[in-house]
Amino acid sequence: MGNQRTAIAGEPVVRISTLAPRQKFPGALARNAPAYLFLLPWFIGFFGLTLGPALVSLFLSFTDYNLLQPPHLVGLDNYARIATGDDKFISSMKVTLFYVICSVPLKLVFALAVALLLNRGIKGLPVYRAIFYLPSLLGSSVAIAVLWRQLFDSDGVVNTILWQFGIEGPSWISNPNYSLYTLIVLAIWQFGSPMIIFLAGLRQIPIDMYEAASLDGASKTRIFFKITLPLLTPVIFFNAVVQTIDAFKAFTPAYVISSGTGGPIDSTLFYTLYLYQEGFGYFRMGYAAALAWILVIIIAVFTAFSFLSARYWVHYDE
Amino acid sequence: MTFTIDRRQFLIGTATTLALGAASLNRASAATSIRFLWWGSKERADRTHNAMTLYQSKNPDVSIEGESFGWDNYWTRLATQAAGGNAPDLIQMDYRYIFEYARRGALLDFTPYLDKSLKISDFGQANIDSGKVDGKLYGVNLGVNSSAVMVNTIAWKEAGVDAPTNGTTWDDFAETCAKLTKAKKRRSFYGTADASGLEPAFEGWLRQRGKALYTNDGNLAFDAKDTAGWFDYWSKLREMEACVPADMQALDQQTIETSMISQGKATISFAHSNQFVGYQAINKEKLGMISYPVPADDAKPGQYLKPSMLMSVSATSKNADAAVAFVNFLVEDPDGAKALGVERGVPASEKIRNELTPDLDDLGKEMADYIQMLTPKVGTLPPPPPNGAGENGFFLKKVAEEVAFGKLSTDEGGAKFAEQAAANLKRG
Amino acid sequence: MSDATFATAADAIEPPTERSRLLSIAIHTALIAASIVMLYPLIWMLAGSVKDQNEIFGTASLVPSHFDFSSYIRGWEGTQVSFGKFFWNSLVIAVLSVIGNVMSCSLAAFAFARLKFWGRNFWFALMLGTLMLPYHVTLIPQYILFLELGWVKTFLPLVVPKFLAVDAFFIFLMVQFFRGIPRELDEAAMMDGCSAWRIYWKVMLPLSLPVLATAAIFSFLWTWDDFFGPLIYLSDINTYTVQLGLRSFVDSTGSSDWSGLFAMSSLSLVPVFLIFLFFQRLLIEGIATAGLKR
Repeated sequence: MGNQRTAIAGEPVVRISTLAPRQKFPGALARNAPAYLFLLPWFIGFFGLTLGPALVSLFLSFTDYNLLQPPHLVGLDNYARIATGDDKFISSMKVTLFYVICSVPLKLVFALAVALLLNRGIKGLPVYRAIFYLPSLLGSSVAIAVLWRQLFDSDGVVNTILWQFGIEGPSWISNPNYSLYTLIVLAIWQFGSPMIIFLAGLRQIPIDMYEAASLDGASKTRIFFKITLPLLTPVIFFNAVVQTIDAFKAFTPAYVISSGTGGPIDSTLFYTLYLYQEGFGYFRMGYAAALAWILVIIIAVFTAFSFLSARYWVHYDE
Repeated sequence: MTFTIDRRQFLIGTATTLALGAASLNRASAATSIRFLWWGSKERADRTHNAMTLYQSKNPDVSIEGESFGWDNYWTRLATQAAGGNAPDLIQMDYRYIFEYARRGALLDFTPYLDKSLKISDFGQANIDSGKVDGKLYGVNLGVNSSAVMVNTIAWKEAGVDAPTNGTTWDDFAETCAKLTKAKKRRSFYGTADASGLEPAFEGWLRQRGKALYTNDGNLAFDAKDTAGWFDYWSKLREMEACVPADMQALDQQTIETSMISQGKATISFAHSNQFVGYQAINKEKLGMISYPVPADDAKPGQYLKPSMLMSVSATSKNADAAVAFVNFLVEDPDGAKALGVERGVPASEKIRNELTPDLDDLGKEMADYIQMLTPKVGTLPPPPPNGAGENGFFLKKVAEEVAFGKLSTDEGGAKFAEQAAANLKRG
Repeated sequence: MSDATFATAADAIEPPTERSRLLSIAIHTALIAASIVMLYPLIWMLAGSVKDQNEIFGTASLVPSHFDFSSYIRGWEGTQVSFGKFFWNSLVIAVLSVIGNVMSCSLAAFAFARLKFWGRNFWFALMLGTLMLPYHVTLIPQYILFLELGWVKTFLPLVVPKFLAVDAFFIFLMVQFFRGIPRELDEAAMMDGCSAWRIYWKVMLPLSLPVLATAAIFSFLWTWDDFFGPLIYLSDINTYTVQLGLRSFVDSTGSSDWSGLFAMSSLSLVPVFLIFLFFQRLLIEGIATAGLKR
């Protein structure tokens, strides 16, 4: 049965492909040509629009570039400062890590649970799906800042509800002890994209797998854990990797809600927001570039770790 | 159903884009064309567009393209364009940023134009100097301005307490504000906003005590004890419930619309005089404007007149002459100046001021009166802020919040601010 | 809608019983309750758009005391150029981006998922690497590049990159899904002497509707929501997108016209909501067709 599911997360499937027309055009060129033609647009974009600018920024990270004057090389000064004397680097990294660790798993669990519910043949499905996606449609629109304040300030909706139970809540959004949680709630509220990807993944599970299982008289719980979940692991893996990277790079929620300040007391100062302040607020683009490359390294370590772990839990049905 | 894109649609799409692109490029290359970028409200945009239209009807060979943004996005955009060597010819500058841009060579020195195409000698030396950086003129004063205290007069009447007036001492200020809170006429409503994190307020307090933010040679002109004293004052107000609690003040993002007075949380907010129009526009109740509170006796002047904003020309402008001529039109030509009105502050030119005064509406008059009342009492312009000063402004807000939320004592807060502020200057 | 036709596996194997009906009621109750929580802020915003200014923040009630639609007119004409123009600009950019992303990313993904070539793992890793780059750092070099090309102030910097597959997210997404398509299908096509192109076009794409629809939805939404790109590259108000227009509306009113802002924010959701409804049909219908039911 499902031995065609070669959906391997991680590295591309290393498997003899018979697609290249070897018989007609012998030689390496002919073997590689079709693939490189397919990749041509990507190559142009990658070298021209991504790698080029990225290398420029790597160069800038060794300079004192201030946006307005030509950069001067300063060696490792920027990196040395990050490593030794930058409290904001540490505090913003803590904020970001906390945000990643809290928001990503919760968002994924939420998205998967809703996707499972919405994958059933019940009435009004498209409507529910659309409703659950609506918050994500709002993105980081200007209106979010007002909505969140209405929900979470001292006489906001949340406190009005708590008050019914005799609890007097703090001003969540402007209290440094809680403000980060309101951003985590925002991230979870906008669980639409992983939900859609889970739905598409669920749709790809071959129906005959379920038929076979039900003939064996397996219970629903058993079917979920023995079939749905394992077959969904490539998609779970994809969502986890992408959401983690996105959470590390999160910028707009904090920017919109705190008006770019990261306040109160830097409690919502995400790493990228700090980077942005340094680069565009204080004209230290060289330093900001160094901060960015540190972030790239940190994300890369996390991603590499997930790809390594993938071989233990992502289902390779081969 | 299959998802295919036929080639024709794609071609049409691409053609549309290219056409749109070409159209906007063409427009830009007509005649002597200059670009003007500013931040501000719709009111300001309308007035500025009027001035531009007037100028273009007088000078048909010049075309001016104007664009406006909100404060935050304005600076990102300006920085990106300047970095790309594509800065707009005409730049509305803020007093806080002019040093950053001028010292990095991004702005045109107006000195050669003085008394030629830029006839601003009737500004008075102080108002001309306010656009100077390191001896060269990089900005032309668009409006005279000073710090000010906005007061919700209705709320004070309602509570039956006499509102603070010009010359109220800091101690009386605290007492009356506490009285207003005690009157409890409205739900969670306080006497004043907490200004401990507001740099201009701190600066005023320092200057009244013979200190300042920065010395002439770019070092700190205050110490940890001064800062601690400032934090002490506000901690006392917080205790007396004269000012809003910390978690309320933290909602104030130092903009008009998030200020405590506009949010209906307090009767008083610390601001700038040219913002009076903006504050009144979104506050239904009648506002008044008074000067900063003063120390008990023998106070030195804390406030000073500074440009609400300045006009600068980009150093890379290809049409610098035309741009300078337009700047002159805005500040010295009665037509241009009338179009702008006092929305950017009271004009620096005496001639223009006299011409505008009869036509001013009530708000404009109040603003002009305030500046007139203040003028004999103000001190001199402080020395130019050194590089890194901008960061200190934001840092004061952070430390003040740490004190307000009880994470630092006032002494610890004072020490932390003084120490880190000095370090920021060193880094530049 | 046609969902019943495409009821999934889990339901197909389960005959309707009393227990399942109860379960269904429970699920609906849970879903409706969850919907209300999810939607509360949005309903509040929608209600705010027809409320009187004073009423918006005064009460927690969602029902306006009277309906005042003038905010929509005020908002629509609140900026120098009407919002209709902004909607059109956003639409052009978003549609082109959808086309660009779906085409270029599926080409690249097909190569990564199905073709064997020298350096595949290397390029794949680099492609993933581009996901990790924070946006703000490449911003200035990219701006200078587009300025040199003379593209600043046009839509080109916002659209052309989409045709060059710069969004690695979509490539990664498509690779994951292409690998889930049974290999025997394209192997069979191979036997018939099909070229790689024909396999991509005739076998892969038709079988990949759910993921193509997903990519199309995300492309559209993200382009529609993008604020930073247009902020940097568009400077003529006639070329503004909806997000820039919203921001400029807020700036120009000093954020005091809340109902106008809410009205325009609500309106800005309409096209994306419609797109979502449209593409989610593809998302759901695509898969149940012949290909995967063996």
